[in-house]
Amino acid sequence: MSCQAEKSVSKYPVTVGDIEFNEKLDDPDFKKCTPEKLISLQYYQGTKGFDYKGEKLAIIEKLQKEKISSETKMNGYITVRFLVNCEGKTGLFRVQQMNADLKETVPDKELGDRLLRFTKSLDGWIPKEIKGFKAGYYQYLTYKIEDGKVSEVLP
Amino acid sequence: MEKFQRYYLSFLLLIVYTNTIAQVNCNAVEGEDCKKACELYNWASDRQGSRVSQEAFDKAIGLCPDFSNSYMEKAVPYLKNGDFVTWKILIDKAVAADPKMHLGYRGWCKFQFLRDYKGAIQDLEELKKYYPDDLGRSLNGDYHLEVVKAMSYSALGQKEKAAGIIEKVLVSKGYFKGMYDHYQLGVTYFELGRYEKALENFEKQSKENNFAENIYFKSKVSKIRNKDYLDLKKLALMTYDEGKTMKDVYTHHFNKIYRKQIEEL
Repeated sequence: MSCQAEKSVSKYPVTVGDIEFNEKLDDPDFKKCTPEKLISLQYYQGTKGFDYKGEKLAIIEKLQKEKISSETKMNGYITVRFLVNCEGKTGLFRVQQMNADLKETVPDKELGDRLLRFTKSLDGWIPKEIKGFKAGYYQYLTYKIEDGKVSEVLP
Repeated sequence: MEKFQRYYLSFLLLIVYTNTIAQVNCNAVEGEDCKKACELYNWASDRQGSRVSQEAFDKAIGLCPDFSNSYMEKAVPYLKNGDFVTWKILIDKAVAADPKMHLGYRGWCKFQFLRDYKGAIQDLEELKKYYPDDLGRSLNGDYHLEVVKAMSYSALGQKEKAAGIIEKVLVSKGYFKGMYDHYQLGVTYFELGRYEKALENFEKQSKENNFAENIYFKSKVSKIRNKDYLDLKKLALMTYDEGKTMKDVYTHHFNKIYRKQIEEL
């Protein structure tokens, strides 16, 4: 491979799922923690996996209290991906919507925005620990929507 | 910071090691390009999720589009990281190239990651055309795919059908029981109000592989029958705190019970 080829821009990020800072979307004060040269962890890596104060049930119960639904009666999925930093704070949120056939679809903007705001409000994420050091990781929440209501929260 | 980076790297090496499970014997692959694609696939599988890995899968697909494993393995990091749109595009290509090999896996993933019960049933019914006698197991080995189908029917409200499928598979010749078969059957009977059958299965589960959720349901049956349930509740909480719960690296198990639910019993 020539040096020129090595320098060409790849269509893939360093690791699948990496989220780059976007000044139009992201909080400039959000601290990433992990040095740029090191790849970021995923939520399932390490001994604990999905780690939220009060477990996933706490998220489900909080969501039930919010009574989030859509008049469009949509069926499908809304996924919010984000980064949990070494302090347990969250940032770099990205939203993806798909229909019940698991294909990207015209978004239900209102429902997407409400679920994004809800996801941003979650403050119980626990950073990973590697030999006493706290580390951040990528996390996602997928909301399964049936008739405009959230029927399941994943993973 | 240097010390942290050293630990961090050793941690990542462990992750790479645990990803190396998808190797294929390329000597069995016919054709020079496809053999080369297979070798690229093996190389890339060891580097799952990285840029070089995804690029190598693209090269492998270019060399041998019929080698369906490249699509499947390229799809995996998208599945794990929650980009289900991209995962679906790629896994559909793997299934189109070799439905016999990938339908069961796609059906399982639809169930495990997306709780897409209808989609899972559709794939597993289709798989039956290729494997009429034995659908095989989920990729993580926890469940027979007939049990996955049963849990999907259960989630869609067809509880009797679900119980029937699990009962049938449990007595089928040469069946190797899954980790949670009796628990899932017990919960299905519980939801049908058939507490005797539920308890029978929770007891069987206890003898083979006991965990907090199973004890929770035993306690729940006792409470419904106005019997002493508090000792079982206490045991369920203790077992939960010891870490003996239903575990899945990537998602949460179907019919998983959380600590707070046990506390509130």
